[in-house]
Amino acid sequence: MKSTQYSERVLDHFRHPRNTGILEGEDVARGRVGNPVCGDLMEIYIKVRDKRIQDIKFKTFGCGSAVATASMVTELAKGKSLTEASRITRQDVADELDGLPPVKMHCSNLAADALHDAINNYLNKEKRKPQSVKKVRYQKRAIIGEKEFLNKGVYHRIDDLSVFKNKRVLVLDRGEKSLDTAVKLTKQTGRVIFVTSSKDIAANPALRTRIRQSDVKILYQSEILEVRGNNEVERVLIHNLDEDEEYELFVDSVIVLQKERHSSENKIS
Amino acid sequence: MSIYFDYQSSKPVDPRVIEAMTPYYREEFGNPSSLHMEGDEATRILEECRESIAGFIKAEPDEIVFTSGATESNNLALIGFALRNRARGNNIIISEIEHISIHNIAKYLMKSGFEVSRVPVDQFGRIDMRKLLGRITERTILISVGYANNEIGTVQPASEIGELCRERKIAFHSDAVAAEGLLPLDVGRDRIDLLTLSSNDIYGPKGLGVMYVRKGVRLNPLIIGGGQERGLRSGGENIPGIVGMKRAVEIMEKDMEEEVERLRKYRDRLIKTVPKVIPRCHLNGHPTQRLANNAHFRFEGIEGESLLLSLKDNGISVSTGSACSSKTLEPSHTLISLGLLHEEAHGSLEFTLGRFNKEEDVDRLLDVLPGVVERLRALSPLYE
Repeated sequence: MKSTQYSERVLDHFRHPRNTGILEGEDVARGRVGNPVCGDLMEIYIKVRDKRIQDIKFKTFGCGSAVATASMVTELAKGKSLTEASRITRQDVADELDGLPPVKMHCSNLAADALHDAINNYLNKEKRKPQSVKKVRYQKRAIIGEKEFLNKGVYHRIDDLSVFKNKRVLVLDRGEKSLDTAVKLTKQTGRVIFVTSSKDIAANPALRTRIRQSDVKILYQSEILEVRGNNEVERVLIHNLDEDEEYELFVDSVIVLQKERHSSENKIS
Repeated sequence: MSIYFDYQSSKPVDPRVIEAMTPYYREEFGNPSSLHMEGDEATRILEECRESIAGFIKAEPDEIVFTSGATESNNLALIGFALRNRARGNNIIISEIEHISIHNIAKYLMKSGFEVSRVPVDQFGRIDMRKLLGRITERTILISVGYANNEIGTVQPASEIGELCRERKIAFHSDAVAAEGLLPLDVGRDRIDLLTLSSNDIYGPKGLGVMYVRKGVRLNPLIIGGGQERGLRSGGENIPGIVGMKRAVEIMEKDMEEEVERLRKYRDRLIKTVPKVIPRCHLNGHPTQRLANNAHFRFEGIEGESLLLSLKDNGISVSTGSACSSKTLEPSHTLISLGLLHEEAHGSLEFTLGRFNKEEDVDRLLDVLPGVVERLRALSPLYE
């Protein structure tokens, strides 16, 4: 069976998704799940009154069935009590859509999971105190191969930006200096990736604006585990801390700036 | 009929080709191995076709072996060569962005005791010659690099690779299927020893391919039988198919230059307009060293299968690098080799133009695409 051989109901929900968008407010909780295999990402927002889902919205990055299952799960959960809604299963979602191609079953899993995540977040929210802002930390873990490939693709300092012309460059978060380097490198190459273990960029407002407007691709909550190649850097192994997932990325250079004291920058500005 | 922008996957057979083939199914049905009149005519036409097709790539007729398609040609080139030349070495080099058939044949050879290394490409999909050099060992007997990539259309420096191979007495195989009919092929100029061609990729019949084998290059056959094709590929010759491919070659030789210019004009319009009217859209592949019919984009924040389905609803047929539309749910290995993240590979669309596209097709696509992207981005949590 072709992976895109969808039922009419799937196609209908894909073409006319119900309940799209986001919700905001005190009584709103968000569920968010990603699927590392497919790269799908789904967010479900629920607005709860008297332990009932009064309103529900979704956003999805994913294939046709990811959109359709998210749309369907919002239809199924709307108006239900939290207990009823938490009993909605992936099979329920698939059945209501008149089935899914077998390889796409994980998409319906994702929709139900996002709903359950939203419900859990709502229930926990009531108990939980507001969290203090997490301190920014830099990757401490040693990078395998860093020494072996030093100056063969791994650089601890940069004297001349032009050596990175048209290269795929990965810059590891080492504070504002490294961010500034990443932005400057975009003049040399279209491919600059900034890897940070934190959830947000820690920098002064001006630099934050510059990086947002630049072509720098940012990998949040990620660290570099290993540098790989044949005499010179060809690939890196990235660890996504959020999803606890590892993957390889083809790059030419890895910049790990040294000798910077960043104790004064250890807060989100 | 939809508006078709997926010529890379499959092409219609040119009506003139079908016309040329028809008599060879009915009146001229002989077997070249037979000694009667029908057999003689079959031999004559087979050799005439072999000569025409050889001319298309500047080869000699007896360097042409007919196969059942490009996949078989790739199998014969890699496995046939590796098995025959094992005594000289067991190392084979391919590129990271080879067609999936080459990757899987390489895996098969690894299981049979060969050592295969894959040379990476730069962010535009071009082979890095220095990295290729760095992988060559004393045991290297064969390097296989596609003439141009089937997905992103990047053209490789075939001449340079050929020269490097010749100097080191390493055989050079190139799968030229994506480049056929778009670039002039010359096995002498590029010092190619083994070349894969497919008939359908020049609007010829399906189920027919060619393996060019330079004189002096030894292969083991993979299909054993009556010893046709100089023993390299047994089995009764597909005469109607071969006649069709000859006709396809004749049409190409006459029209290629004009056709390529026309497609390049459409393609350039896409490459110029799409990233301008759609924000955060990037071209994948090489800005200049790319096939004249190929435009390949990635759209931030959206997933390719959703794009493909939406375009399908608008009567437009395209391909995507997204895992979600593949059997394995793995994203395109070619896009990953460019250094793209999974989510970027997912959001990529491939447009390949061909003989029967018209300017109006491009108009229609440019009308529809921005709205489709906008609708999906409104649904996306990754696009603000």
